[in-house]
Amino acid sequence: MRKLKSILLVVMAVLMALPVFAGGSKDTAKAAGTPDDPVTIDLWFGAAVTEAGMIPDDWVGYDIIREKLGIDLKLTMLPSNESDQDVRIQAAGAANELPDLFMVRRPVLTNLVKQGLVAQVDDCFEKMPVRTAQQYDASSIAHTTINGHVYGFASPGAIAKNEGLLVRKDWLDKLGLEIPTTLDEFIEVARAFTFDDPDGNGRDDTYGYGAFVETDATLKGYPGSRLWPIMGAFGVEGLWSFDSETAGLSIYKPEFYDFMVTLKAMCDEGLIDPNWLSYKKDDFRAAWKQGRFGMMYEQNAAYAATANYAPFDKNFPDGEWIVIDAITGPEGHAAIGAYDMNYRIYAVSQKAVDAGKLDKICELLEWMSSDEGYYLLGWGQEGVNYVLDENGIPVAGDLGDNAFTGSKGQVVTQLRNMVFYNGDVELASRYPTYVTEVSGKTMSALTTLREMQAKKWTSAVGSGTMPTPNADVQRYYDQSLAEFLTGAKELTPANWQAFLDQFNKIGGEAWNQAGIAKMTEDGLIR
Amino acid sequence: MTTAENKERSTSQVLQKPARSKLRREISRHRSVYLLALIPLVYYIIFKYVPIWNAQIAFRDFMAVRGVTGSEWIGLENFRTFVDSFYFWSLIRNTVMYSVGKLVISLPLSIILAICIYECTKPGLRKVVQTLAYLPHFLSWVIMYGILLALLAPGDGVVNDVIKLAGGKAIDFLSNVKTFPWVVLFSDAWKEMGWSAIIFIAALMGIDVSLFEAAMVEGANSWQRVRYITIPAIMPVVVTVLILKLGTILDAGFNQIFMLYSPQVYSVADIIDTWVYRQGLLEFEFGLATAVGLFKGVFGMMLVLFANWLSRRLTDNSLF
Repeated sequence: MRKLKSILLVVMAVLMALPVFAGGSKDTAKAAGTPDDPVTIDLWFGAAVTEAGMIPDDWVGYDIIREKLGIDLKLTMLPSNESDQDVRIQAAGAANELPDLFMVRRPVLTNLVKQGLVAQVDDCFEKMPVRTAQQYDASSIAHTTINGHVYGFASPGAIAKNEGLLVRKDWLDKLGLEIPTTLDEFIEVARAFTFDDPDGNGRDDTYGYGAFVETDATLKGYPGSRLWPIMGAFGVEGLWSFDSETAGLSIYKPEFYDFMVTLKAMCDEGLIDPNWLSYKKDDFRAAWKQGRFGMMYEQNAAYAATANYAPFDKNFPDGEWIVIDAITGPEGHAAIGAYDMNYRIYAVSQKAVDAGKLDKICELLEWMSSDEGYYLLGWGQEGVNYVLDENGIPVAGDLGDNAFTGSKGQVVTQLRNMVFYNGDVELASRYPTYVTEVSGKTMSALTTLREMQAKKWTSAVGSGTMPTPNADVQRYYDQSLAEFLTGAKELTPANWQAFLDQFNKIGGEAWNQAGIAKMTEDGLIR
Repeated sequence: MTTAENKERSTSQVLQKPARSKLRREISRHRSVYLLALIPLVYYIIFKYVPIWNAQIAFRDFMAVRGVTGSEWIGLENFRTFVDSFYFWSLIRNTVMYSVGKLVISLPLSIILAICIYECTKPGLRKVVQTLAYLPHFLSWVIMYGILLALLAPGDGVVNDVIKLAGGKAIDFLSNVKTFPWVVLFSDAWKEMGWSAIIFIAALMGIDVSLFEAAMVEGANSWQRVRYITIPAIMPVVVTVLILKLGTILDAGFNQIFMLYSPQVYSVADIIDTWVYRQGLLEFEFGLATAVGLFKGVFGMMLVLFANWLSRRLTDNSLF
C-alpha cells in the first residue's frame, strides 16, 4: 500500500508540474554565438518526406552548424497536411510561443503579422547575398510583403506549370479516335471512353474523365484545379482573372455559367467518374492506376515518377498516357490551367528578433545556400548518401538504403526544401530517366514536366497574395456551385443570377472589390 | 501545563471545531480513496478549471502579443459575430440534428446490444460479438472514411453495386443532401455502439440474479424478463447517460463531420465546430472560437440542469 501511495504521489507531482514545463524552455541569457556558447535556433520545418521520419540526433549537420556558425539548431518537423500545419502554427502563435524560424503559408502569415508576432526582415537580404541571388527575386520578396514591409523569406516551392492534361493513348488507338483538340472533341472522346469499353474487358467500368475537388482560397476556386482544362476552354480557369477587361473574381464572367452548364451536362451523362465529388487525392490517384478513366489533369511527378507510375505499369503494361494540348472552347479560349509562382515561406518570430537572434538566422540561411550547406541538406554526405555522376549530378549509385533516395538517406535530407530552388542539378537528380519494370518503357518525370510547361497556361501570378473571404462567403460560394452541379439547385440563368446577387450581398462583392484594389495596388492587372 | 489542563484544552478544541475534526477523521480513515480521487481532481483543476480564466478571451479582441488580460475588452462583439453569421441558424439546426439524432439512434442500439450480449448464453459467441462491436471504436475517422467510401461510392461502392445489380441507379451517399445525414448518424452508431454498450453491460451485471430466477419460476419468458426486470434495472444508468449526453448536445462530432463533409453537403453538414474551425481557428479569431465554446458550454450546462430537474420530477432518478 505504501508503495502504491508513493507511486500515486509521484504521478500527481508530475501532473502538477506539467503546466510549468508547457511553455518550453526560455533562454536565460544571451549566448555569444560561438561553438562553446552557441545561440539556440528553434526551427520548425516542412519535411521533404514526412513519412520517412525525423532527422536523427547524430546527424553530421548539427555539429557542422555548431562549429561553423555557433548555432545550436533545434529542429521540429511540421505535419505534412497544410491544414494541420496551419493549426500548429496558429496555436503556437495564440500562445505567443512561435519558434525562431518557421515555415508558414501566406494566409496564416498575414494573420500572424496582424497580431504582431512576426518580424520584419527587410534588412536581411543584403546579409545573405548568395541565398538572395539564388532564391529571393523581386517576385518572391513581393510575395511576403505586407503593408510595405517584408515578413518572411519566400523560397521557390513547387515548380510552376507542373501539371497537365493527360489522355490514355492506348484507349484512343483501340477506339480509333484522334487526340481531342476542341471541347466538342473532348466530350466525344469522354463519351467513347465511357460507353465503348476502351479497356475491352466487357464491363461498363470506365469513365471519360477523372477528377477530385482540389481547391484553395486564392488560386483554385471551386470546383477546383482538376477541372481546369475544361474551365480553360471557357477562359474561367483560376479563381481570379487578372485580365484588364475582366479583372476580378472569375465567377462574375458570363462564361463561368457556360462552363457550369457544360460540366453539369458531362456529370449528368456520366462522362466523369461519379466518385469525383467524394474522392480525396489518394483515392483519385489509386483510381487512374486502376484504369477507371481515360483523361485527367495530373502533376508530372505524381504521374511519371518511378514509384508513382509503377502500379499503373504493372496493371496495364500496354497502357500509355500522353500529355496533350489545351482544348479549345466555343469562343476560342484554351488553357491547361492558371499558374502562380509557388513559394515556401520561412518567417522569423518577433520573439527571436527581440532575443537578438536575427543575424544568426541570416547566417544560418546563407550557409544553407553555400556549396557545403546546399549539398549536405540536399543530398547528404558525398560517398555516404550520394555520388556524383559524369555530369556532376548527385545520384544514388550503389549506396543502397543510405542513398538520398533510400530509407536511411531520406531522413538526413529532410531539410532539402530549404535549399532547393528548382535548379537544373536538382531537377536532373530528382527526376532521373528510368526504364519501367514491367513494360520496359523509358520514362522521365523531367521530360513530362517540360512537356507540361510548354502547353498553354494562363498567368495568375499574384493570386497567392489576394485577399481571402470569410468562412460564410467561402461556404456560400463552394456550396452553391456544388449544389448546381449535383442538381440540388437547378442551374438556370435566373437561379445563377440569384446566386450572384446573394453572393454579393453576404460579402462576395466586398471580397471582389478588395481583390481588384489589391491587383491595382500591386500592378497585377494585365 | 498539567495533564488535566491539557485534557480540558483538548476537549474544548474538539467542542469548538467538531466539523473540521470529523472531516479530518473521515479523510484520514479513507485516505487511500481520497488519494486516488486526487489524481483526477488535479487533472480537472489543471486542464479544466485553470483554463476557465482564459475564457475571458471570448470578450476580448485577443492579440497573442498582448496576452489575455492585455487584449482589448470588446464585450459581446464575438458573440454578436457568431449570432450574426449568415449560417447561424443552419449551424444550430445541423448541430442539434446530429446530436439528437445520434442520441435517438445510438442510445437505444447500445442498450439493445448490451441486453443481447448479456442474454447470450454462449460465452464464445458473446466474446466474438463484443470484440467485433468494440473494434470500430478504435478506428479513426480517417480510416472510417476509407471504409465508407469503399462501401458507398457511387462508382464502385459495394452498396451501389448491389443497387445497380437490382436495377437501381447509383446513389452518391456522401454527396447527396438527403442521404448524407443518415450516413453520419448510422456510421456513428456503427462506430460507437459497442463502446457505449459497455456501461449498460456493467449495469446489467449488477442485477440480482435471483430476480431472473424468480421470474423464470413464475413462468416469465425472455421478453418479459427483459421488459420487467432488465430495463427497469438499468433505467438509472440510462437516465444518467442521457443527462450527461445533453450536456454536450452542441458537440455533434467534429472529427466525423470534418472527414465526411464536402461543399455539396454543407447545407446539412456544416456544424458549429466545423464553422469555428474555418472561421475561428484558420482565421486566427481565437476570441470568436472561445465565445462559441463558451456559448456551447453554458447552453449545455443549462440543458443538464433542466434535464436533471425533469428527471428527478418524473422518474425519481437524477444525477444530483
